[in-house]
Amino acid sequence: MDTFVLLLDGLATAAQPMNLMFALLGVMLGTAVGVMPGIGPALTVALLLPVSLSFGATGSMIMFAGIYYGGMYGGAISSILLNTPGETASIMTAVEGNRMAKRGAGGKALGAAAIGSFFGGTFATMGLALIAPLMVAVALSFGTAEYFALMVLSFMTVSAAFGGSVTRGLTALFIGLTIGLVGTDKLTGQVRLAFGVPEMSDNISIAIVAVGLFAIGETMFLASQHINHKTKAEAVKGSVWLNWTDLKRCIRPYIRGTGLGFLFGPLPTGGAEIPTFLSYTTEKRLATGEGRRDFDEGRGAIEGVAGPEAANNASAAGTLIPLLTLGLPTSATAAMMLAGFQQYGLQPGPLLFTNNAELVWGLVASLFIANLMLVVLNVPFIGIWVKLLTIPRPWLYAGILTFATLGIVGAQGSAFALILLLGFGLIGFLMRRFGYPLAPALVGAILGPLAEEQLRRGLMINRGDWSFLVTSKIALAIYAIAILAVFGPRIWAFLRHRGVARTNRA
Amino acid sequence: MPADRQETAGETRLSADQSAPEVRLHGEDEVGQGSGLRDLAGLGIAAGLFALALVIYGDASSYPVRRSYAQFGPEIFPYIIAFGIVVLAGFTAVIAWRGGFEARARLNYSGLFWIVAAIVTEIIMLFAGTGFIAASTVLFAFSARAFGQTTHLLNFAIGAVMSTLLFLLFRYGLGLALPNGPLERSIDLLLR
Repeated sequence: MDTFVLLLDGLATAAQPMNLMFALLGVMLGTAVGVMPGIGPALTVALLLPVSLSFGATGSMIMFAGIYYGGMYGGAISSILLNTPGETASIMTAVEGNRMAKRGAGGKALGAAAIGSFFGGTFATMGLALIAPLMVAVALSFGTAEYFALMVLSFMTVSAAFGGSVTRGLTALFIGLTIGLVGTDKLTGQVRLAFGVPEMSDNISIAIVAVGLFAIGETMFLASQHINHKTKAEAVKGSVWLNWTDLKRCIRPYIRGTGLGFLFGPLPTGGAEIPTFLSYTTEKRLATGEGRRDFDEGRGAIEGVAGPEAANNASAAGTLIPLLTLGLPTSATAAMMLAGFQQYGLQPGPLLFTNNAELVWGLVASLFIANLMLVVLNVPFIGIWVKLLTIPRPWLYAGILTFATLGIVGAQGSAFALILLLGFGLIGFLMRRFGYPLAPALVGAILGPLAEEQLRRGLMINRGDWSFLVTSKIALAIYAIAILAVFGPRIWAFLRHRGVARTNRA
Repeated sequence: MPADRQETAGETRLSADQSAPEVRLHGEDEVGQGSGLRDLAGLGIAAGLFALALVIYGDASSYPVRRSYAQFGPEIFPYIIAFGIVVLAGFTAVIAWRGGFEARARLNYSGLFWIVAAIVTEIIMLFAGTGFIAASTVLFAFSARAFGQTTHLLNFAIGAVMSTLLFLLFRYGLGLALPNGPLERSIDLLLR
């Protein structure tokens, strides 16, 4: 009941004209970047981080969340029409969606995707509104030991989940932790790793790190590939409106996809990749009747589009639970949003719900509005977004680069920031080239200083006794989860391998 | 294109098999995981990580000693990180030595060069005081070139229009302080 009142208050905040405008801007930008291959929501939020400083905290968070949701809608368009997913969350959509487009049912695939996104987004946001207050109640009892453990959990899982290799994930994390060290130590005023450069001695802005690693590094990586940057899109054929039979085929995949996405979103396993994959395989296994034939004959089944699209939007909502209640980012976009909060001196966590209730509930309420805007933008106006695919890539990427440097120069007010930006860009490029995931580096740079503070405060209270870290049962449980998250998949694979070997012998 | 790539990959592997020291040179990027070749680039990363750990350790050990209840000062976290990086550098070296890095696509040096040149030129121009619009125009044109767009005049024209619009939007719309040059100052005078 309490939640309901808070949500209504939030709705009043979200319905203010300025905030509606930020939501609209966010969902339009999000859809646009989702459509374009090579640019994901994480990159867009990074680009807007420095610029958004003049928007105010509530406005920019509403916009960022709109970008996150919009990116999930838009990703489906390039997956279906181009067979090149705009971001990882829509890889599974491409499989059946592009087959449907090739046989002339592209419109239907787009419609099923948009309605699925709406379904998943809306119901998962309801889940978010119900579960977040419960999480807050638990998190309020946490002390330094528990918070430190939570950050270790976040470090471990983010390093293990992104990319295939744990060594590389952890290396990326430690590079991020090193970046977090640069500057003036909060507790003692000691300047670290600044090498006498004044711009570095008062902490590198996280926006420079984020834009450098993601935008500049990614652009360099794309430019360094031998690919023709001019590909053709399938034209949209057939109506985007679904008829009753289509809807009946989609409704079960929607429900299952939403469940999977909402379940996996809050887990630190790297956002939407796992739930969309699970949703696709589930639909493929369960399909009957016409859906079964469409799957088997490779004609492209609408169920295979509906499930994953509901799942990726649901996981976006799920990701916001640990981000808002604990301050833990479980996907790259969530990490960027965390950086956005920090720009305004806000630390997501249980206290955010009491100290900035208006912002939090305004944000949650605006997610419902954003979903409504998105389904309107994506069903009747689909043609406009498809046009975006015809912008020549060279100009698109050049424009991104121009915008990236504009944001950094404008927010920092110095050209020196660009030298740092170039440096991080080169680091980002090398990491991409050698298969190092970028998200752990960003999470390390953002959470590293916070983890250090918790650790040293704890040491100070306990007079230099390290054992406080392991005396709390909750903290121990969290460490156990962290170890399981990193080594679990390996142990599981090992056991299964042995199991198979044994059955083969018998 | 893929066929072409595979051919080169096959060739490299063949020539590598014949030569006695099994080393994966930087130019042989298509050779990858499980090839058993020593990956020089990967070993370079390991060496770089060692160097980074040394720098962090050197910096941390130079902090003045403080007495506090914590018994540990600002040096404790850097020490932990440096230790972690040394361990990871070791693992990286082992992976590179066994040829465990995935195959890498052939590098397009000209594309990379143009991007870096674009940003470096912008930095130089901004320090020289040419202002945001001129510097951004060059940045746009050079980076469009990096992606194979060779219509240079058109690139510059689009870059100039876009930079001017962005300048107007962010300078007057959002009040961002963008670097001023002669052009920006005259716009300022005109609009005041």
